[in-house]
Amino acid sequence: MEFKEVVGRRRSIRYFLPWKPVAREKIQIVLEAARLASRAGNADFARAIVVERDKLSKADLHALTLPVNTGMIEMAPVHIYWWGDLQAFTRDMPSRATEQVNMGVLNISHGWTHKFVNEVAYPQVVQVFSSDPVLNAKVTGCESGLAISQALLAAVDEGLGTMLCTYPEGPARQVFGVPDHWTALWVQFIGYPAEGWEAGGQRPRPPLGSLFHEGRYGTPFRGSEETVAQLQAQKMIQEPAPLPWRKEEVRAVSRMLGLPEE
Amino acid sequence: MSTNFDDCKTVQTWLQGVHEQSGVSPEADAKRVQVLAAFCARIEKQPDEIIDDCLRDVDGGGKKIRAKGRRFYADKINEFEQQSDGSTGEKRQKANYIRSFLIHNGVLIQTSPLF
Repeated sequence: MEFKEVVGRRRSIRYFLPWKPVAREKIQIVLEAARLASRAGNADFARAIVVERDKLSKADLHALTLPVNTGMIEMAPVHIYWWGDLQAFTRDMPSRATEQVNMGVLNISHGWTHKFVNEVAYPQVVQVFSSDPVLNAKVTGCESGLAISQALLAAVDEGLGTMLCTYPEGPARQVFGVPDHWTALWVQFIGYPAEGWEAGGQRPRPPLGSLFHEGRYGTPFRGSEETVAQLQAQKMIQEPAPLPWRKEEVRAVSRMLGLPEE
Repeated sequence: MSTNFDDCKTVQTWLQGVHEQSGVSPEADAKRVQVLAAFCARIEKQPDEIIDDCLRDVDGGGKKIRAKGRRFYADKINEFEQQSDGSTGEKRQKANYIRSFLIHNGVLIQTSPLF
């Protein structure tokens, strides 16, 4: 699928075919997409525990269930529990930056040397960020989010349904035995959609200019109608929700799965 | 116990929500209410009491879910489903009417899919 169409087709899928497994190769592709995402200092912020639902004990599945994830956690055959590594920046940045200087990724042209890494970038930037819990959470959340975003798009590209949801951190720590310096982010549910891939249509978003500014806050970024038309032709901008049959679809899918339908 | 819920605010909220959000016709309202009445009789509670048990007022406005109340009714609904007459699908549909009643009154409750 072309990139723009992948972006356009991504939806939060909330109904999965519980009985249809997902090939392991597809999950690997999702994880590879996350592994290759942009990340500050080339540090390992995004971490994940991949779980096949049917390999979880009933007790563990129950422990990971929240009122808001009940349906999906039982329908989706694969769960990826995403975590952020709060030690990633301080632990990985010095060696990775050094490596990148050696590889010609970080260069003299931009002021990068081993001396700069060790005497300036690390002590004056990375350590400052990492010693401030708010800044550290901001960096870890943002950098992990980039990886998770690519994982979502890769799942869509593989013809899968996917969505992000919350999970209970304490019980998840116990079930998965993750290190203390990992912080819980989102669980990505993956499976084949039981609803149409449109999932009722593309979710409405505010106009471009109300979200993004040009030059200075308050000056809306102006897009062109021609570009919108191009993106519609390339299926990045799609028919918005609600599609006319959505209510009937939701009732039918809910009935099929035994969920409240009205 | 009365099964006339015409003056029952939570029941009217439910039915109105069912018609408006889910787009179903009022024709089956009598059946919906009948199932709710059966559930209420079983647990000896009125519909408004059920919702009161699941929600509490918050300072400054709004409502908050009482987790204990919701768990209690989730269990009662599961029992109701298991002990109802009919096929697996019919039992589930009856239980889902009760879940729908809670959901339309602001009590987030979900159930396991059947498969």
